[in-house]
Parts: sequence; structure tokens; C-alpha cells
Amino acid sequence: MQILTQLIYSGIALGMIYAVIAFGYQLTFATSDTLNFGQGDALMLGALVGLTLVGLGLNYWLMIPLVCVFGALQGAVVERIGVRPAIKIKSEFGWIMSTIALGIIFKNVAENLWGRDDLKFPSPLPESPLKFLGANVLPMEILVVVGALLMMLAVEFFNRKTIYGKAVVATFNDRDAAKLMGINTGLVITFSYALSSLTAAFAGVLIAPLTLTGATMGAVLGLKAFAVAIIGGLTSGMGIIVGGIILGIAETTTGFYLSTGYKDVPGLVLLLIVLAVKPAGLFGKSAIKKV
Amino acid sequence: MRSPRTRFSTLFLASALSLAAAAAFAADPIKIGVAGPFTGGSSSMGVSMRDGVRLAADEINKAGGVLGRPLLLVERDDEAKNERGVQIAQELINKERVAATVGYINTGVALASQRFYQDAKIPVMNNVATGSLITHQFDSQPENYIFRNSAHDSIQAPMIVDEAITRRGFKKVAILADSTNYGQLGREDLEKALALKGVKPVAVEKFNIKDVDMTAQLLKAKEAGAEAVLTYGIGPELAQIANGMTKLGWKVPLVGSWTLSMANYIDNAGPGGEGARMPQTFIQEPTTPKRQSFIINYLKTFNPKNARIDSPVSAAQGYDSVYLLAAAIKQAGSTEGPKVKAALEDLKAPVEGVVTTYNKPFSKGDHEAITANIPVFGEVKGQRVVYAYPDDFKKASEVRVKDPNAKGALTATKK
Repeated sequence: MQILTQLIYSGIALGMIYAVIAFGYQLTFATSDTLNFGQGDALMLGALVGLTLVGLGLNYWLMIPLVCVFGALQGAVVERIGVRPAIKIKSEFGWIMSTIALGIIFKNVAENLWGRDDLKFPSPLPESPLKFLGANVLPMEILVVVGALLMMLAVEFFNRKTIYGKAVVATFNDRDAAKLMGINTGLVITFSYALSSLTAAFAGVLIAPLTLTGATMGAVLGLKAFAVAIIGGLTSGMGIIVGGIILGIAETTTGFYLSTGYKDVPGLVLLLIVLAVKPAGLFGKSAIKKV
Repeated sequence: MRSPRTRFSTLFLASALSLAAAAAFAADPIKIGVAGPFTGGSSSMGVSMRDGVRLAADEINKAGGVLGRPLLLVERDDEAKNERGVQIAQELINKERVAATVGYINTGVALASQRFYQDAKIPVMNNVATGSLITHQFDSQPENYIFRNSAHDSIQAPMIVDEAITRRGFKKVAILADSTNYGQLGREDLEKALALKGVKPVAVEKFNIKDVDMTAQLLKAKEAGAEAVLTYGIGPELAQIANGMTKLGWKVPLVGSWTLSMANYIDNAGPGGEGARMPQTFIQEPTTPKRQSFIINYLKTFNPKNARIDSPVSAAQGYDSVYLLAAAIKQAGSTEGPKVKAALEDLKAPVEGVVTTYNKPFSKGDHEAITANIPVFGEVKGQRVVYAYPDDFKKASEVRVKDPNAKGALTATKK
């Protein structure tokens, strides 16, 4: 029992790491039907910028808002350069290539600025584990879970309760109608990209003390998060959390009960099943695409 | 009839031309390829190796080069990727026309790339990669162009097992190895070495490069009652193992391959990584005059953080690999592959290196310069690698030389 609890804890912590990144995919998909495939790299940039700021002597908690500002700017740049031209000419695939390309560029820039080695991100919390219901958790893991949940709640609150958020939702529901109602949909889309990279950068500094920090940290995480977004559904914030936790726990438990060589398999099998049975994701609303 | 004056000037011109040709010949450098990962997870080994190589080449060039020609290093970053390694091998052989290549950190890259050198009859000196198969890949061919001056896994695995089982008396051990060629070949060697002692590992687990969570693997080892964890992986993931142990509050000794001495293991694992032990051919201590001058020059030239060489073993072996090659080229009097290879197999004069003094390091049937009696155990202590046993430290000034009859190595065979 104690083992299972430990596996579930680790699975949840791992799943929430995936979920915070996947959340960024959902944000941009909600407004523009496009994804930022450089999400993993936005996360990596956030973590490295955070590491540099901490290295300059800034306090971890004070550094977070700065990293968020950086993330927002970075997201806006991605949207302006990579996505807007594609949306303008109604290209179905242009944004895929351009966000991937920008992601690679960001990675190369990071490799040149910070080197390609993995660096240690100093943990703001004590690194000794806490005992909780008979299993160990790191304070940092709790921070990741709490931080991720708070961030998602804040964004959901923004979308549902504020006038600006309503503009975002309106843009998602019908971009042309929203435009006719006087909403600057272009700005809304830029904003959603800024918000999505902001969450990624925030996720970066949140998880960096647990993972290692380096130019290549985004690649595997970004991919796993993509799987989470598909399992949970690209239109549902709730689905992202559940999807993340499912994938995280699937990885740790298969690692223990089956074989560590197969730990990535069940999550991906689940992905295939979801795609076959419920393509919109477990919690997603299936949308009818009008042609 | 020509005047004596013209004849003189013709003579002068001819001799001037031949002089110029000789000068051009003297300046014609000997190209040595250097291949290794200078970026990515194994870069602390690759960069240290490259710096060691640069240091040696500089010294040789300052002393007049080899055969009157300077050494020119052609460095290429293989990014620890097999396909990059293959491209680089082809480039170095066909475009740069190197006389020989030193390097290879990653066993997989070495195995994928060195066949091109074998076909082109150009010697390769593996100075870091440790997979047992490396020097035996072409056992079936009459001539083998692959040499090595690092401690291969068939030495390291029995050393690790000996340390854990015999010296420290652990009865139950778990193996954690990464899913690369390096990790899996090492795991095989560990299992073989354990079997020789009649021990079966209580758990054998695998992890991937870039894995961020080791809970499942560690829990399995813990549940199986492991008293020590034997590792085969590289720095960043080894650090995640140490961090995972801290998290689970389960602290058993880590004993593993020499990669536990990598800077990115020591830095990323922090206090949780202390006490890990691994076989080392070189520990950054000035125990002989040669080692002292090597350490001083290295620190002066490359100025690493905290005066700690990122991977002292790679730096020392990189340095030695160039001297071994230079000695062979000098003896062969030529840069032709087959002649250099023949000279390597029969080096007349001993080569004084940092790791050891190489006295007939290679022969026709033995392309391994390091034998089981040479490496010592290192331990991570105070964020650097020190001698694990004070006895080894005391005797460190006695250079351990190659002993072809040294016991303890598994016999490596080509599968």
C-alpha cells in the first residue's frame, strides 16, 4: 500500500508537470485553433532565464513575475512572426512548421547562450522529503502541484469572469462573429499566445528544481504534454489536469509493476485509444468543423 | 654557349625551389581527427577530452611536431548521436584526410562510426568510450585499426562488483542502467561479473535519457531489499537517481561505472550524490611530476570552474591518446594508416603519459592499453572526486603499468 501511495504521489507530481505544459497548448487552441509546438522550448527559455536571474542574486519568488513577463513577450513574438501570417492567408499547416521552426531557433539560441549542459536549478524549498500518509514527497513537488492548480484557476477565472476573458471565449466560439461585434480578434490571439508562453515560462521555473535545466529539457516534456493535451482534450482545462495525472500515474505504476523498459507504453496506448474512440479527448467537446 | 653567370643563376633558382618545397613539406601538418560530444549530456566528458587532446597537441607542436610536421586537430562535435558520428567519420576520412582519429565518448557512436576507419585503414584511438565490444568489433578481420586507452567495461564491471560484493560485503545489489548501448552493454557485463561471484542482482532496471522521475526504478530496488545500487548511465540521469533516493529517504551506496565522476552528476546531485564510488584511471591529484604538470597546465589553459577538471579521466586519457599516436607516427616515419597501426602494435620506446607509462601498450592481438590493475576507486567527496582508499592515494606516485596477465577482466568476445 505504501508503495502504491508513493507511486501515485510521484505520478501526480510528474503528471502535473505535463499538465502545466499541456495547459499552454489548450490556451492558444481555444482562441485560434492553432498550437504552439514550441511550447517545450518556451518552458526551457523560462527556466533558463529564471536560472540566470537567480544567479544574479535575485530571490526565487521575486524572479517569477519577471520570468512571466519574459514569457508573455516571447509568446507574443511567436504569434506575430509565426502564426499571424499563417492565419491571415488561412493556411492550414503554415503555423505548424513556423512554430516548430521558432522552437528550434529558440533552442539553438539557448544552446549558444547557456551551453548544452544540464544545469542545477537551486531549490527555493528544503530538499529533504516530507512524510505524508506513509510515503515521501518533496516540498518542491507540492509546490508544482499547488502552483499549477493556482495558475490554471487564475486563467479559468479570467476567461469566465472578466470582460477581457469573455472576449477570448467569444473569439473561440466564432472568430468572425466576434470580430463583427467589435472584438479585436487579432489582439486576442496575440494575447492568448502571450498567456500560453507565460504559463510555459512559469511552468519552467516551477519544475526546474525537480528536473534539470538545460536547452534540451523542453523536447521530451513538450512531447509528453502534447499526449496529455490529446488524452484530456484540447478544449478542456479540467481534462488537461486529469489527462496529466493519468499519464503520470500510468508511467510510474507500469514502471514498477510491469517493467521500467515499458513505462512509456501504456500512456501512448491510451493516447491511441482516445484518438480512436473519442478524438476530442476524454473531456473535450467535439466541434463540428464547418467547411 | 651559356655564360657561367646564367648557369649559376639556374642553379640558384633550382636550389631555391627545392628549399621552398622542403619548407612547404615541413609546414604540411599532420591532421588528427577529434570526434566527441562537445554539447549535450555527455559534453563534460567530450569537452574535457578535447581539451586534453589540445593540450597534448600544443606541447608536441611547441617541441617541433612529429616528423618535423605540426599536428593539426580537426575537431568535430558528434552530439553523442550515432548518425552524426557516421557523417563525421566520412568527412574526416574523405574530405579532411586525417592520419588518425582520437575520441569517441559514446560507445554507440564509436561502434557506428569506426567501421569507416577500418575500411579506410586509418587508426582510431578510442580515448573515453568503454563498451567492451569496441576493440573487438573487427576481430574477424585480419587487421584491426581500432585501439583504446580507456578502461573498458570488462575491466570496470568486475571492479564495481568486486568493490560492492567483496570489499564492502553487500549481498543484495540492484542494477540501474540507461537504455543506451552504453548502459545496456554495461549491464550485461555487470550481470556476468556478478554471476562469477555467484550473485544474482535482486533488481535490474532501465531508464531513458532525459527521464525526470526515477521513483519506479528505485522503489523496485528498495522493495527487493537492495543494499547497494550499481549504476551504468551518464551524469544527468545518475544525478536524478541520487535525487530520487533523497526523495524516497532511501540511502544506499551507489557504486557504478566511471561516469559517476562526471561534473554534471556531482553538481546536479549535490549533497545527495556524495559517497558514490567508481573506477578511475586518473584522479585530479598531483601524485607524479607528469600528473602535476598536466594538472597545472590544464587549469592554466582552460581555467575550469572551481579549479576542478569537469572530467579528469577524459582529459587525461585524451592527452595520453595524442602522445600514443604521436609516438607511433614517429616510429613509423610515416602517416600511412597501415604503418602507424603496425607501429602502435609494436611501440619500441615507452610513452610517459598521465594515466600510466605505456610500455608496449598494444600488440597484434591486444588493442587495450589499460588493464585491470591500473584503475583505482574514486569517491565523490566535497563535490570533487578523491581517492576512495587512502592506501591507493599513498601508493599513487608508483605508476601502475600495464600487466597483460592482470586478473579481473571479463573476456570480451564478439557476439
